[in-house]
Amino acid sequence: MTAVAEPAATPVLEAAGIRVRFGGLMALDDVNLRVEAASLTGLVGPNGAGKSTLFGVCSGLIKPNGGRVVLKGREVTEASPQVRARLGLARTFQQPELFMGLTVRQHLTLAYRASRARRRLLTDMFTAASLRRPGPEETERVDGLLEMLSLTDKAHRVVDVLPLGATRLVEVGRALAANPSLVLLDEPLSGLDATESTQLAHALLRVVDEEKISLLLVEHDVATVLRLCGHIYVLDFGTVIAEGDAGAIRRDPAVRTAYLGDDPYGDDGT
Amino acid sequence: MLQYVIAGLALGGLYAIAASGLVVTYLSSGILNFAFGSTAYFIARFFYFLNTQHGWGIAPAALVAVGLAGPALGVLFYFALFRFLTLSSTLIKVVATLGLSLMLPYLATLLFGNISILGKAPGLAPEPPKVFHVFGAPVTMNEIFVFIFVVLVVVVGAGVLRYTDVGLRVRAMVDSPAMTSLSGTNPTAVSVGVWAVSIFLAGLVGVLSAPIIGLDATDFTYLMAAAFAAVIAAQLRNLTVAVVVGLLMGIAGSVIPQYLPPNSPFTQAVIPSIPFVVMAVFLIYFLVRRGRLIETEGTGGALDRAIAVQGAESAVKDETGEVRLSSRPVGWVPSILGFAVVCALPFILSGLWIGLLATGVAYGVLFLGYTLVTGEGGMVWLCVPTFAAVGGLMTGQLAGLHGWPVLGAVVVGGLVAVPFGLILGALTIRLGNLYVALVTLTFGLLMENLVFSQERFLNQGLGVTVLMPGFATTPKAFTYLALAIFAVIAVFIVNLRRSTTGMALSAVRWSEPGAKTIGLSVLHMKVVTAGLAAFIAGIGGALLAISLGVALPNNYATLLGVAWLAVVVLCGIRSNIAALVAGLMTTLLPGVAENYLPAWFQQIPPILFGLGAIGIARSPDGVLADYARQLRTLAARGRARRHRGSPQGMAPAEAGLELSAADGLGPKVAR
Repeated sequence: MTAVAEPAATPVLEAAGIRVRFGGLMALDDVNLRVEAASLTGLVGPNGAGKSTLFGVCSGLIKPNGGRVVLKGREVTEASPQVRARLGLARTFQQPELFMGLTVRQHLTLAYRASRARRRLLTDMFTAASLRRPGPEETERVDGLLEMLSLTDKAHRVVDVLPLGATRLVEVGRALAANPSLVLLDEPLSGLDATESTQLAHALLRVVDEEKISLLLVEHDVATVLRLCGHIYVLDFGTVIAEGDAGAIRRDPAVRTAYLGDDPYGDDGT
Repeated sequence: MLQYVIAGLALGGLYAIAASGLVVTYLSSGILNFAFGSTAYFIARFFYFLNTQHGWGIAPAALVAVGLAGPALGVLFYFALFRFLTLSSTLIKVVATLGLSLMLPYLATLLFGNISILGKAPGLAPEPPKVFHVFGAPVTMNEIFVFIFVVLVVVVGAGVLRYTDVGLRVRAMVDSPAMTSLSGTNPTAVSVGVWAVSIFLAGLVGVLSAPIIGLDATDFTYLMAAAFAAVIAAQLRNLTVAVVVGLLMGIAGSVIPQYLPPNSPFTQAVIPSIPFVVMAVFLIYFLVRRGRLIETEGTGGALDRAIAVQGAESAVKDETGEVRLSSRPVGWVPSILGFAVVCALPFILSGLWIGLLATGVAYGVLFLGYTLVTGEGGMVWLCVPTFAAVGGLMTGQLAGLHGWPVLGAVVVGGLVAVPFGLILGALTIRLGNLYVALVTLTFGLLMENLVFSQERFLNQGLGVTVLMPGFATTPKAFTYLALAIFAVIAVFIVNLRRSTTGMALSAVRWSEPGAKTIGLSVLHMKVVTAGLAAFIAGIGGALLAISLGVALPNNYATLLGVAWLAVVVLCGIRSNIAALVAGLMTTLLPGVAENYLPAWFQQIPPILFGLGAIGIARSPDGVLADYARQLRTLAARGRARRHRGSPQGMAPAEAGLELSAADGLGPKVAR
């Protein structure tokens, strides 16, 4: 059940020498990270390791004090989140950032149009386009994502009434609807029950295998990350302390120390 | 020079005390009290009532008005209003306090009598106040009282906050209300105390100001608006900076005129603009230095953020704990029925009433500017009257003075307002909603002082005559013309709301990070909304000028906009039909009061508007949306009952679920 990345000449995302300082705290110190095309890469680390900060830097919501971010061969260190989104970067959030007045379907529709029919964001208000049926491609893509994420029966619900697990799925759906090359997933399994987690894990693997979308996954459940991801980075106190495949991470003594004796690998660990 | 400095210190002292009161309440409750000026006026008027009208001595009158009524009002306001606002959005907080601000002067007239108080009113010093000469500058006893109280407020305030247990609790509340209450401090007790102190300070400002600026409610509101500059300089939190900047503004107001040509219109326009220029300078400084200015940044812990309202306006927890959303505020059928009723009114009304109806519909068009910018765009703009003024005054100039066709002038008036909206939208993009409210209020007051006060617009106080278009010269015909324009704009807004643009606006309103990461430009969306809203308000302002027959700056006063916003939010900020109803209420209710009810009752409509705006704290979607929701709930129950009788019928639980999906209501509300 592991997506193994083929080595590629140009990674879809490369962060090199990233440094972020919050006052006197060095949140990230010379962090290097690569996400290959059509791969599922994991990022783990204890609380406060800097995972979400690194996501913020990669998605453009946090400006780094040093280092560079390259997306599909183009440097985007100074680029806004919108520019990165248009280049194919989408993300989810640890605390879901949903549009509370919109339905589940509207989230996906908006993300789809924002990437594939940008002009409609401004022209629609002057035309009757909102009265016409959406195009077949849009309907097919949105319906497909809703089905893949088991959200079809909730499609017309306003997201505010959904439980946490469902809101995470909506965020994943919104990110995937935005025609991405890379999706940064910030703890997408948190709040989901066992069945939902398994379903989402399968969906993520399908996305990588069938749609060739790269995923960078931050997850507290290290065992799941080791099971799903071909390449894993371990972050602690703002630095990468280990990287490699699941086996290498399991064997790494620095990783064990970082987790202070906890068994980060769950029951099926070594 | 020294004498001008001393002369300016008195007004500066008033700014300083007002800014202190505003900062203290903001610090402890997150509410910027827009009613501070009106409260100051109310207590000053109560002092005048006791002291001058009933012959009480200065000391007992001051003790009762400031020392007892002030804190008592603070406690009353807290329990009646402010405690409901703590977790509300900025719009609700601003509108509720604006509602209070709107009603207090009228309540004062109702309680203390409708008498005109010309010139300066008596203060804490016996009349006539003694005059001292300090460094050659004449200083009255009343001004010396201001100096004394500034020192007392600073010393006692800083001492209590820094060195006492009470101060520690207040400062802890500032950092994290949730954690403070978890650690055993009763947040209600702290809040009640802070509000009592704050309204006491408002009363103090009131009685100290009366002998310096007179006893006029509008002047008190201007005093508070000026004090906002010091509050912004203090970034809403730093008491010392607020006091120092307040004092410096007073000094600047006294010193700068010495370097300007005396008695020139420019000098007269510049002096009242000083606080607003100070505000603009500080905002630009903060924006350049930090990139953005968000009032909630750097405060509260994770728990506070977890319990805070997410997104922008129109979400609040009701009695059942459900978060209510205005995704479908009123609904199609009530809206169309309501519009049809208004369309029938010209056949029913005549004489004075048809004129009021025409003006009401013009207001309705103008209010659609609020529906768009605040309802859809989520921006709390207090300068919509400014855009209306641009449209109205431009129409006056083009049609009234240069012979343009009226409708052409209306469109050009609307278009001239657009760049103002675009620029303001772009400039305020990096500001938190509260700062946006303050900046737009300042912008409105600045335009009023510097631009609209020109003689070409004022025309000796008479304004510029604007005639109705040739094909609609009667109020009845003009009403239909205005209704047609209203319908076109309303359909445009409905289409916008349903379109991709509307979804994108909603996305930006609820989560900027979420919107950005799917590639939406927050700047584009907000600027487009702002430009459109300015255009609509400009058109509305022009129609207002035509219906009144005159383009006069006074009809677009920024502070009038306070009442307008209160009425629009009261009816429903996200509903087009609510804008029309609000417009009609603005003209017809006072008309009814003036023509059919006793004189004292004329104070009632503004008080009702104010009370309605205060009620927004409990009902953020507005009364029309509430009624529509109740009707829909009743209809759903009726349907559920009918289905229960049918074997293939929908189960009641399903019916409730359907309703909750459509309305954004939870099953609890829909049951």
